[in-house]
Amino acid sequence: MNRVDTDITVQVDGLRREFDSKEGKVTALDGVDLQVRKGEIFGVLGPNGAGKTTMIRILSTLLLPTAGKAGVMGFDVEKEPEKIRAVINMASGAERAGYDFISARGNLWFFSQLYGIPTKEAHKRINELSEMLGLQSYLDRKFYALSTGYKQRVTLVRAFINDPKVVFLDEPTIGLDVMTALSIREYILKQAKEHGRTILIATHNMAEVDAICNRVAIIDKGKILACDTPAALKRSLGAPSLVLEVSPPPTPGSLEPLGKLEGVKGYTASTDEERGLSRIQVVVDGDGSAQSVVDSIRKLGMTVVSNWRQQATLEEVFVALVGRGFREREREAAQ
Amino acid sequence: MSLRAMVASIRVGWYREFNWTNPLTGFSLRTVGPLASVIAASTVYYVGSTNNIPPSFDPSRLAYILIGAALYAHVAAYSWVPTLAIAEGKWTYVFPQVYISPHSSLPYLTGRTLASFVTSTLTVIVSLVLSFYVLSSVFHTNIPFIVTPLSVGLLFFAMLVNIFAALGLGLLLSAYALFATKFEWALPTYVAGLLMVFSEALFPVSFLPHPVSDVANVLPFTEFMRASRQAMIYGDMHSYFSYIGLAVLGGIIVLALGFVAFRYAENRARRLGVIDKKTA
Amino acid sequence: MKLHSNPWLRTAYARLWVRAKSIYGEPLWVAVNIGFPFFTSFSLTMVYRAYGLNSFTGFAILGGVMISFWGNVLWSMASQFNWDKQVGLFEIYITSPAPISAILVGMSLGGILGTAPSAAMVALLGWMIFHPPINAIWPAVISVFALTLASLYAMGMALSSLYLAYGREADSVNEALHEPVSLISGVYFPSTGGFSPFPLAVQAGASLIPLTLGMDALRRTLFFGQGFGELYLDLELLALAAMGVVLLFASSKALKFLENKGRRTGTIAVRQR
Repeated sequence: MNRVDTDITVQVDGLRREFDSKEGKVTALDGVDLQVRKGEIFGVLGPNGAGKTTMIRILSTLLLPTAGKAGVMGFDVEKEPEKIRAVINMASGAERAGYDFISARGNLWFFSQLYGIPTKEAHKRINELSEMLGLQSYLDRKFYALSTGYKQRVTLVRAFINDPKVVFLDEPTIGLDVMTALSIREYILKQAKEHGRTILIATHNMAEVDAICNRVAIIDKGKILACDTPAALKRSLGAPSLVLEVSPPPTPGSLEPLGKLEGVKGYTASTDEERGLSRIQVVVDGDGSAQSVVDSIRKLGMTVVSNWRQQATLEEVFVALVGRGFREREREAAQ
Repeated sequence: MSLRAMVASIRVGWYREFNWTNPLTGFSLRTVGPLASVIAASTVYYVGSTNNIPPSFDPSRLAYILIGAALYAHVAAYSWVPTLAIAEGKWTYVFPQVYISPHSSLPYLTGRTLASFVTSTLTVIVSLVLSFYVLSSVFHTNIPFIVTPLSVGLLFFAMLVNIFAALGLGLLLSAYALFATKFEWALPTYVAGLLMVFSEALFPVSFLPHPVSDVANVLPFTEFMRASRQAMIYGDMHSYFSYIGLAVLGGIIVLALGFVAFRYAENRARRLGVIDKKTA
Repeated sequence: MKLHSNPWLRTAYARLWVRAKSIYGEPLWVAVNIGFPFFTSFSLTMVYRAYGLNSFTGFAILGGVMISFWGNVLWSMASQFNWDKQVGLFEIYITSPAPISAILVGMSLGGILGTAPSAAMVALLGWMIFHPPINAIWPAVISVFALTLASLYAMGMALSSLYLAYGREADSVNEALHEPVSLISGVYFPSTGGFSPFPLAVQAGASLIPLTLGMDALRRTLFFGQGFGELYLDLELLALAAMGVVLLFASSKALKFLENKGRRTGTIAVRQR
């Protein structure tokens, strides 16, 4: 890693990670390259199993790479984990780590001590960070008595307790209600803007990436497929995508012919059980292709109830890159 | 439906106890504890009596302690299973699922208890046999056990009869676990400790002060211990059956109490909204 | 932010605080912890008493005291990191600059502090109910007690790394270890020396466990009036101290090894539940 370029806080070059499994070697990361700059909120977007968490685990010194290089603040994850640990922090949305019989405040103070922060300063930081997340009136409750949302807020206060230069967040709003997720996103934005922290977020939530990330890397099967700002990625699609509501819902695999049509970059489908309809989003490169999509759907024995064009979202970007949506990808991975 | 739920719960109980490893390792790990505690309690008596001035070692007392310690471990091992099933089930969300299915919570707890009864019966047999041979050879003494098909059959029968009381105790303890939000693990441990003192496991309850000894005297667990000793040491059939009768009677009363407590706790837990709350 | 000059002490103190606060913040814990050790100790004291062996009752009461600490070592030291791993705390430790040795020491001191009230209650109740014959040299008793705890908790630290490596069903392993170790260590009766009924090979094997030497040394100082200068007692103390140092060193090395192995294989943050 180039230590002269002080603006780069996270540098990943040809990163590869394999795991042993009963079925043989599984490649979680397959030659990933990326750079994250100081003060950036950088999203790593991909379906479950794409390799996002593996990348975060490597960068936060929990896991060693099989090949390639990764560095944080100029320190090598393999050779200098101790130096990295002094300047980073991490949190996972799936994590509810804390000692049950200790108050939220007590837990946070404990975590601050792992970084050697003087008690007075630690309490000041706990109060400041908790205020931002609306946690203050819950600080003196025992950890076990907190709801999922408040436990997650404690986790997010912990992630910034040591004034870290770089923070890794793995699905920080997973399983939370909309309002809590919004306040957490505001908090993350503030941390990056006001304190110049680099925040790397692994998520499969496209709205989250759209809302707070300066740049995003789209990852699938351990490979980075694209990396740019969310707006630039969406612009790159050109034509708005085609959305069709069809009936009856397609059977698994019946939409395969769509992907082979000229001008179709990919598609994703979801079913609205209540209405007995399926919504198919097709990323096309122009109006001509749109008509052939409608014809093809009809040929497949489905009725097109309605169709319209929609401004591209990050999901369409993913569909255009992979040919399938997150849902299909996760289903494929599960099989 | 209830029977089906109970049979399924026995299978679940069995998987829960052994599926994490191979059955032999699982069984060995489960046996080594009771075996050690039986040998330890017997050795306490042996060390004291042989080093006493003058030595006062009596093999029949050794047999008394050996049987009591083994059967105590047996009861303690499976009577707390309903609590375990609820507390653990709250963590894994299995218990709320079981609870909202029709008429399943009691068959579920009974099934889990019966699965554990089978396991702990096997471990107690192995513990008894091994400790008998280990202690006989290490202490160079003949432990006066009556080992005939009849005596072993009577011991099994006593163990079966004791299921009523143990399940009743299990339900009583699990009643607390239903609405507890903390320490639900601790109560069974406490009660297991009390049982060691009050069930004549290691010493005659007549040595306890009045009126404590009177209470201990009528506990079905005490009658179960006495019946088992009659089967394996003293061989008095008349006494055996009178103790068994008292154990059945006491067992049914404890079971009824357990059932009532469980139903009461169930309502209370629903009122408090804690039946599906994870505990600390 | 500058790291404070003594992060090791801060970490150790914070971990101690968490453990002690968990206990003292919920006074019921003391009552909870006292239950099983007290009733077991009571029952075994009654075995001595019921069969006219009054001079030995102190052994069972002392056993009740020490079994509280042994239980704490097993359930709250050995399996703690394994539990921490399951709830996501272990990865927080690893990704922080905190020295893992400080966490272990803090955990031990907190464990001792947290167990002390229940152990003291077992001692007090046992003494009040049974009045066991005591012939103690108190400075020796206190020194032996402290050294035994140090060495016992060092064993807990070593076990915690073992559990981290092979921690599947740590609870079952704990259950399997609890009674056998208390049997061969002679928690309630002398398992080594002249009173022991065990063959010499078993006694020698048992002496490799700090609890065995500690129990024997405690009985010597508490009931047989032995003090420093008694050859056998001095040897036991020396062995206890050596075990403590070796176990401390071994646990620190093992944890570092496991951390590196975990980073290679990806098992540091793998939760089981």
